[in-house]
Amino acid sequence: MSDISAPQPNRIDGGLIDRSRALRFHFDGKQYQGFQGDTLASALLASGVRIVGRSFKYHRPRGIMTAGAEEPNALVELRTGARREPNTRATTIELFDGLEALSQNRWPTLRYDLGAVNSLLSSLFVAGFYYKTFMWPASFWERVYEPLIRRAAGLGRASLQPDPDQYEKAYAFCDVLVIGGGPGGLAAALAAGRAGARVIIADDDFIPGGRLNNDVHTIDGLSGVEWAKYTAKELDALPNVTMMTRTTIFGAYDGSTFGALERVSDHLPVPPAHQPRQRLWKIVAQRSILAAGAIERPIVFGGNDRPGIMLASAVRTYLNRYGVAPGKAATLFTSCDDGWRTALDLARAGVKVEAIIDARSEISPSLVASGQTIGARLLKGAHVIDTRGAHGLSQIRVRTNKGDDIAIESDLLAVSGGWNPNLALSTHLGGRPRWSEERSAFLPGDLPRNLVVIGAASGALTLAEALKQGTAAGATSADAAGFKSGARPEFVVDDESISGEPLWQAAASRSKAFVDYQNDVTQADIALAAREGFTSVEHLKRYTTLGMATDQGKMAAVIGHAMMAALTDRPMPQVGTTIARPPATPVAIGAFAGRHRGQDFRPVRLAPSHRWAEQLGATFVDAGPWRRAQWFARPGEADWLSTVIREVKTVRSAVGVCDVSTLGKIDVQGADAGIFLDRIYINTFSTLPVGKVRYGLMLREDGIAMDDGTCARFAPDHYVMSTTTANAAKVMQHLDHARQVLWPELDVQAISVTEQWAQFSIAGPRARDLLDRLLGGAIDISDAAFPYLACADFCWRGRPARLFRVSFSGELGYELAVPARFGDETIRAIMEAGAGYGLTPYGTEALGVMRIEKGHVAGNELNGTTTAHDLGLGRMMGKKDFIGKVLARRPGLVDPDRPAVIGLKPIDRRQRLRNGAHLFSPGAAVKLENDQGYVTSSAFSPMLGHWIALALLARGRERVGQILRVVDPLRGADFEAEICSPVFYDPEGARLRG
Amino acid sequence: MADRLNHGFAASSNPGVIVSIRNDLGYATIMVRRGADEQLKQRVKTAYGIDLVPGPRRSASGDVAFLGIGPTTWLATQDDGGNGFSVSLKQAVGDAASVTDQTDGYVIHRVSGPRIGQALAKGFPIDLHNRAFAPGAVAVTAVSHLGAIIWRLDDLEDGTPVFEIAVFRSLVDSFRRWLDDSLAGFGLARN
Repeated sequence: MSDISAPQPNRIDGGLIDRSRALRFHFDGKQYQGFQGDTLASALLASGVRIVGRSFKYHRPRGIMTAGAEEPNALVELRTGARREPNTRATTIELFDGLEALSQNRWPTLRYDLGAVNSLLSSLFVAGFYYKTFMWPASFWERVYEPLIRRAAGLGRASLQPDPDQYEKAYAFCDVLVIGGGPGGLAAALAAGRAGARVIIADDDFIPGGRLNNDVHTIDGLSGVEWAKYTAKELDALPNVTMMTRTTIFGAYDGSTFGALERVSDHLPVPPAHQPRQRLWKIVAQRSILAAGAIERPIVFGGNDRPGIMLASAVRTYLNRYGVAPGKAATLFTSCDDGWRTALDLARAGVKVEAIIDARSEISPSLVASGQTIGARLLKGAHVIDTRGAHGLSQIRVRTNKGDDIAIESDLLAVSGGWNPNLALSTHLGGRPRWSEERSAFLPGDLPRNLVVIGAASGALTLAEALKQGTAAGATSADAAGFKSGARPEFVVDDESISGEPLWQAAASRSKAFVDYQNDVTQADIALAAREGFTSVEHLKRYTTLGMATDQGKMAAVIGHAMMAALTDRPMPQVGTTIARPPATPVAIGAFAGRHRGQDFRPVRLAPSHRWAEQLGATFVDAGPWRRAQWFARPGEADWLSTVIREVKTVRSAVGVCDVSTLGKIDVQGADAGIFLDRIYINTFSTLPVGKVRYGLMLREDGIAMDDGTCARFAPDHYVMSTTTANAAKVMQHLDHARQVLWPELDVQAISVTEQWAQFSIAGPRARDLLDRLLGGAIDISDAAFPYLACADFCWRGRPARLFRVSFSGELGYELAVPARFGDETIRAIMEAGAGYGLTPYGTEALGVMRIEKGHVAGNELNGTTTAHDLGLGRMMGKKDFIGKVLARRPGLVDPDRPAVIGLKPIDRRQRLRNGAHLFSPGAAVKLENDQGYVTSSAFSPMLGHWIALALLARGRERVGQILRVVDPLRGADFEAEICSPVFYDPEGARLRG
Repeated sequence: MADRLNHGFAASSNPGVIVSIRNDLGYATIMVRRGADEQLKQRVKTAYGIDLVPGPRRSASGDVAFLGIGPTTWLATQDDGGNGFSVSLKQAVGDAASVTDQTDGYVIHRVSGPRIGQALAKGFPIDLHNRAFAPGAVAVTAVSHLGAIIWRLDDLEDGTPVFEIAVFRSLVDSFRRWLDDSLAGFGLARN
């Protein structure tokens, strides 16, 4: 730190900064210094930096305008490398040692920016210029105009690298949420906290107190700063109160829920280990108190964007809180009493006040007297009409009440046009602000349930009102939440005068007069919008961009609306104002994502054999929420296809094992379980003998196929259903709906046991040999004792186990189920038992190939458009009633022209059939009207030695033997194929039995 | 299991959070058969001395506990019960209820420690404060986008709260990644 020597020419005494902790920082590559407690803005001002950015459209030099989140100009790129963050507001960035920031929207440098030429072309860039300037010739749009606009559009540059920091989400619950830690909010939290309610008070600043830290006030004999400090200390000591600083409540949502962003580490160069950069809170509050204060209104006048022009309240904040005098010779332009405080504070800080320009002609004598004591020249009924200065303000042009124009030399112009309540959160659920003539401001209108607005946010601008309303709201909210509030303290505060007359725009000027600084929207743009008929506030916003971008018109919108009211000669209530959507201030997408990125993007379900498969080097595929082994490559295998071919051939010639635990398993019990299943499936299950398995298909209410699988009966009142992996949750919901809502009279209970059982499919001619060896006589599995479609539960190695003789592959097959904890142990035991029989593990790919060879339908065919008949399963439908039966008889679902599942073989066996290819009759033109169907599943059949496919084809089953044209324009295929039975391999099913 | 659950940081000697896995528990879901509510109540009372209460509550006696996880549905647990618990439970309740072994279906973590409330607030969207979730409370909810059942046991003698969390076995890695991330800042110990 020894090399800190950069001067701070504007630093003065006082302020809430720690001068013993000097901090070094860089802005646009140049080194400066500030102190602990500074913001980047206050440190830049202390260092004499006036230009901090260039405006969006005209590239005009801009300076720091405010001291808060409403800042339209001082947007910088903060940090470097992967942590670079564009469009951060210098006024809210806490200074830290080593901070690096760059200005935006300028080239080559901030001081000399070539983009400023846009100012000379400004007649091209008026409101709606997109639609006017770039209209002709039409051919220029794509090649010239759009690329030009795209290059110019956007503010700041994203880092384009992965964010190295952590983000976190958290939930909080409270009886009373206080939004804002200013005087009203502190008083509210105190009243509710003392009553015993669970209170959360959130403030976006790093020190609570709000304007008590910015202005000079006394409360109960203490300075405002001290009162805020003591109150915060008491709140901290209450165990039922949580004080959240650096936390912005950015949104109000349904159910008394609020979104909050806690900037946990933004004030540090790098977050410490295990500490997130930001934490996104979801806060559920029984009652809430909006104490978000107010935002000062600027006045629109010619040249009002020159660096050195600031909001009057911001000037006070820099003087009092940060010990920074943002100028040497100051002038005040105001239309309200509150602005005068700035002149007095400037004088007290030793800054020369050249003039007080008050647009009003009547001013209270006490104010006039106070102005005289500081030696400022008073200009009543006067307006600022223009400003001068090459790199910041040097001269102000004033039109006096006599109509003369005079010049005043000043490098700082403090502007106050009154206050707008910060009511954005009150509008997030649709509440419309209402205009108050008395306060000359929009005040919160219809409020979200259980929310009250107090203090300046409600239009009550004095400190006394804020404290009184805060105390009352805190006590009432605690009482409403079931607590008993005590005596309400009354605070003695210094007197304030807040009278004022709104002044939206000063007398006309030849210079540009800005309404919305961030979007370069001028007075002339508003007038143009009015002339062209865009007079509604919503049209005005879209046409001119008034109130868009990072500040969302916090300063500009109401002024623009007032100007529109004047231009169209309508009263303010009729013109109205726009309402806000969350977030009230920008929130990084990273905060919304939290830790759910990369590997943690979403939860992943791992099968019981996952660890074993990993050790074997399996390739995995995400199947719904599950991660399944796709294939098990062996050294020397050229590609995935050769692996899959080897796996299929091994299953068909020896034996294979596959983890099928991911299939849904549902325990169905109860005296009426059989009747229940008869109504769920299209076929009958009440007649299924104990110890047997049956294949079933279920329909949706609308008659479309929903899911298929097997269902086993273990006892008269106990079945175990299996579902497809993809539909497991949906089927569970379907069953719960059916038993709870449709047929509560049935005695049936259902619960998922997918996770309870690890289940392995063991298939192939040697499957029984393997099982004999593995189970060691725990169960008789001879064909006589345990034929095709048998099932049993038994005890194996001292544990429960289940065996099913079912087959998806078409081979002699079994599924062995063991408690999931023993899944890993069991797959290893199977591998050992199968070693002598040529066992291979196989993955989902080989599983898919074998089911296509066997013509079994799966998700590609059960795709939400097919009926049982389309799938070739129509004959399973029983005479009994079942879900979907009635609507399955709709004419559209029994139309003989419907597509049916068929098989396809390419005539030229070298051709590859692919999913999604379309089918046409030979000779028919390739167009939509002639489309006959499409390929749903395709695979290279190791047994047939060429590609095969299942397809949905109009009147498919009666066309077996015909030739079709397969067209796949996406991948450039066009060849002929023969329609065949979907069962390509072992059509008699001989391999299953015996 | 241990190596699989450990990613990222070492155990702390002064932990804010203490985590253990209840490998010893046997558990089963139990759902009332139609019209057998009173019968089930009596049989549970007779067999285990437990008053079966409706709603999201945990009632325990000795090594057995019943947790309400839905209308007429409970998760019953028994210390050291294993897969055999569902068998003895079925014998106890007979045809008054359907019993399904879930001993392998869930992994149950016991979590405790002075900072546990703050750690759990990073994933559970429900209020776990004393006033809303006292000892004996049960909730079927979600944590960090995965389904979970959470219940609160009696506090430790020093007032430290103790929770147990059940998640599906296949999701335990994802759950542990969330848990480890969420309590990393507080210091962790494993029992």
